[in-house]
Amino acid sequence: MDETVAEYIRRTVLKIPRDEIKVMLEKWGFLSEAQLQTLNFHQIKDNISQEVVQLCEENSADIKQAAVLDIIYNHIYHNKRMWSVYQMRKTGEELEYFDLTDFKKKFKRRLRSALKNVTITFKEYEDNAIWIRVAWGTPHRRPNQYKPSYVVYHSQTPYVFISASVLKSNLPLLCQALLVASNYHDIREMELRSHSLNSLKDIVFKRYSQNFPTYCPKPLQEKNVEPESVDLRIVQENRSEKERIQRLNQEIFGHGPLPTLEFAHYRLETMFKSDPKMDVLDKKEPFRCLVKFSSPHLLESLKSLAPAGMADAPLSPLLTCIPQKARNYFRIREKKGLFPESFVSP
Amino acid sequence: GLFAHLEMLECRAHRESVEREEKEQREEKLALLECRARELRLQRDELREKLERLEKGGGAGKAGMAPDPTPRDVLEWRLRSLQALLQLFHLTGISGKLSRRGVCFTLSTAFGNSHLDSFHLELLLHPQLRIHRHSIPPFIPLERISREFLPRDLRRFLSVLSQHLNGYAGRKFQLEQLQEHFSDRIKGIPRQNSLCNLLTFEYGLSGKSRNFPLRARLLYRDPCRSLPTDVEVSCASDAPAWLADTAAAHSELFRLLPLHGAFQAFPTA
Repeated sequence: MDETVAEYIRRTVLKIPRDEIKVMLEKWGFLSEAQLQTLNFHQIKDNISQEVVQLCEENSADIKQAAVLDIIYNHIYHNKRMWSVYQMRKTGEELEYFDLTDFKKKFKRRLRSALKNVTITFKEYEDNAIWIRVAWGTPHRRPNQYKPSYVVYHSQTPYVFISASVLKSNLPLLCQALLVASNYHDIREMELRSHSLNSLKDIVFKRYSQNFPTYCPKPLQEKNVEPESVDLRIVQENRSEKERIQRLNQEIFGHGPLPTLEFAHYRLETMFKSDPKMDVLDKKEPFRCLVKFSSPHLLESLKSLAPAGMADAPLSPLLTCIPQKARNYFRIREKKGLFPESFVSP
Repeated sequence: GLFAHLEMLECRAHRESVEREEKEQREEKLALLECRARELRLQRDELREKLERLEKGGGAGKAGMAPDPTPRDVLEWRLRSLQALLQLFHLTGISGKLSRRGVCFTLSTAFGNSHLDSFHLELLLHPQLRIHRHSIPPFIPLERISREFLPRDLRRFLSVLSQHLNGYAGRKFQLEQLQEHFSDRIKGIPRQNSLCNLLTFEYGLSGKSRNFPLRARLLYRDPCRSLPTDVEVSCASDAPAWLADTAAAHSELFRLLPLHGAFQAFPTA
């Protein structure tokens, strides 16, 4: 077995928390049951990883199998990476049946025709997610396995989720291979980024709970019944205001859990508005500034702003439109004041 | 406070379990209601005939008819028939409600007697009918359908979209039923795509044997239908002749019956 492969497997196993190593090796399925039994999972990770490498040596693992283990790790710990969403466009209207083998073949062929030194690995998951791992090299160097790019694609959708490696120069090539393999013509980056891949999927696949008024033949049962306090001396002064805020919040944010986003960026290119007599700025040019909201769970915290009394309800549509417009990067300009979009093909 | 919140959650959980029970009772009622609908139709036909007879013999006996309806009667009648119309549409799976900005449509899907997911659309009315937001999955060609039918033909737009959604929901439901009831006869997990319109799996004839000699490939060319258009059931080239015959018979069954129905209908080996 190649030394570099051995080292790569060793380092990948070291990344895994000790309690998860056994489960992940089972998912990997490269080591047999008998081999897994021989491993002692209670020793320090260094030793565990050495033993795993030895077992892989017995099975003559190569980089392909090691790459699959890496995908499995990143699939479970996808929150450790930053994901961007890309949207593809096609002009033809034929119904596709999406043949997976065809997709993989076209993708590999396109990529390899441009760059000989790449490692391409696929793994399909039950929810129709196709994970693609690409390790990039140059004409003179072997692929760097420690800085791969990951692509997640759901068949028959126009969305691709990419966690690019630091080597941004390979991105156009990756995009082109995706277009060819999936039969689309155009791809652009959406202004939507997060660590939580599932939340990004929820937003673009419209899987999060939105509030739609629906026709109900039977009268709706009461929602949000606050337990009445027995003591009649305690009266809620702002009851109607609280109810109004609750109602607005439900209309805007819905009932269920919201997708997890960590930040929203607003790049302002608006004029500084001051008293004309005071003339703060010499030149009449836009005052550039960047407003960034961060939170472990941005949408939940926005939802709780009004009930907590920190903001007036309804909140600014600039904040509440985030899931519906599927973006968390905004550029606010003077005249229109709203969000410009540009579609550029690579 | 935290406790108030917990109490509220408890209330909600209790309410939801009560609702679930009620739902089951409602489903029992459905069968009874269908019977009743038939009775009412008969009654309606009888009344129609009666009315025709009266109209034909109407010249003679005006005195025998009821007094002219008052405006209030007419209004009540209009309200009742509107409510009935709304309820009727709700039963077809497409229902609507005016919202603050426009109108919200709910498209419910079903397969056989099972009620499946509901999807929503909010449309704006001015200056033209267009989609404001929706909860339609991305692999349904919503953009193409809306370009073809909106803003002129709302009815066809909803009808075609509903067919696509029902087709998808039906195919997905069949696959879930197959995995739930016949997982012992299938090797691993069937290979599918997001739209569930291309399915491949290997299966065996009985749950006990561990081999899966037959391979099925189902292609659903019509996205609005939940039965496949192209079916290929194959076996290894060195397989016995009776297996090849079985494959052909199964192929027919897959074309005619839903997935789990076909498996149920297989003659036992």
